[in-house]
Amino acid sequence: MKMYKITLVFAVAGFMCGAMALLFTYNSSQQVYVDVNKLLDGYERTKVVRSEYESKAKTLQANVDSLLNAWQKEITTYEKERSAMSKKELELKQQLLSSQQRQISNYQQAIEQQLQEEDQKSTQTVINDINDYIKEFGERNGYRMIYGASGGGNIMYASDAADLTDEVLTGLNEAYLGQ
Amino acid sequence: MHKLYKRHILGGIIIWLVCNLLLACHDMRFESAEELSAFVYNENNHYTQHKIINGVRFDLTYKPTDLMVSQQIGDTGSDTRIGQLRKQYGNHLYFTLKMSKNDQELLTSAVSNRVEFGEMVHQLSFEMQEKVQLTTSSKEAIAMTDFIYPRMYGLSKATSILFVFPRDSRVLEADYLNFTIADLGLMTGEVRFKLETAKLMKEPRLF
Repeated sequence: MKMYKITLVFAVAGFMCGAMALLFTYNSSQQVYVDVNKLLDGYERTKVVRSEYESKAKTLQANVDSLLNAWQKEITTYEKERSAMSKKELELKQQLLSSQQRQISNYQQAIEQQLQEEDQKSTQTVINDINDYIKEFGERNGYRMIYGASGGGNIMYASDAADLTDEVLTGLNEAYLGQ
Repeated sequence: MHKLYKRHILGGIIIWLVCNLLLACHDMRFESAEELSAFVYNENNHYTQHKIINGVRFDLTYKPTDLMVSQQIGDTGSDTRIGQLRKQYGNHLYFTLKMSKNDQELLTSAVSNRVEFGEMVHQLSFEMQEKVQLTTSSKEAIAMTDFIYPRMYGLSKATSILFVFPRDSRVLEADYLNFTIADLGLMTGEVRFKLETAKLMKEPRLF
């Protein structure tokens, strides 16, 4: 009777090992994918960095606008007063206005470049987070490969079961929000 | 026959338990500073990790206390001296961050004009306290104690910075630590390294 029990214990242990190995092999051989655009849109940090970027862009654009307004006022004043100005004064005023215009234009270009860089940095930060999480998720669940679909036609068909986007997105947001 | 069979199984189980116990209690001890260093810099042992983002390579190494000790005394040193140094270094966590582009220092490869060069020197020398953060799994920030950036004037293959953080209870209780590096103007975004505390705290020892 005791012998039977021992055999049973070994059989159960063997079965469990087999099942786990099968599950691992099944996972590692499965073709799965995530929708990268959905991840980018649904990730909470994307909303945070986007809102930070928009607020920064608004402030910088407001600076440009106020400089432009001041310059336009100067132009209006110049138009009003030009008839009363001497030739030398006209020349100096025109030089001053065109120099101001150049400065504003340079500032505008610098701001645009700065915003472009900020956008690139924040997008890269979000992509780094997603890549890190997918790597961790893949290792934890024994996947050999996880494809990234971006709507550009690299995955033409996949069954719903192969789509891990929702599962990954939930885990990604939980990791970000510290749950 | 049954009794003999039972004894064999029992013996097997005991050996297996003893082996597990020995493995669990096994201290990773090294005879030389070189062996210890090779172990720490082998990525399979979890003390070193690397990432490459937009052509910039980041290598982060957690330096166990005994590695710091060995760098000071080499392979020689009395037990008393080792004990003193362990005490001295044991209150802090030491991390080395190496950053490179095309196998060259950032100041050689990642800047294209004098202004960028000046900005990068300033960042690396004075702003790393704001650029690098160590946070626990519960998002608590560990204040940096200090950092050291030695200028190598192009002689090294990477820009290397040593970071020092206090080894306080929040670190020891956390499941993992996040070591994050803000974008240094290299379009890498924020780069994060996740470090499992349990693995880090099981420190390899010298001698």
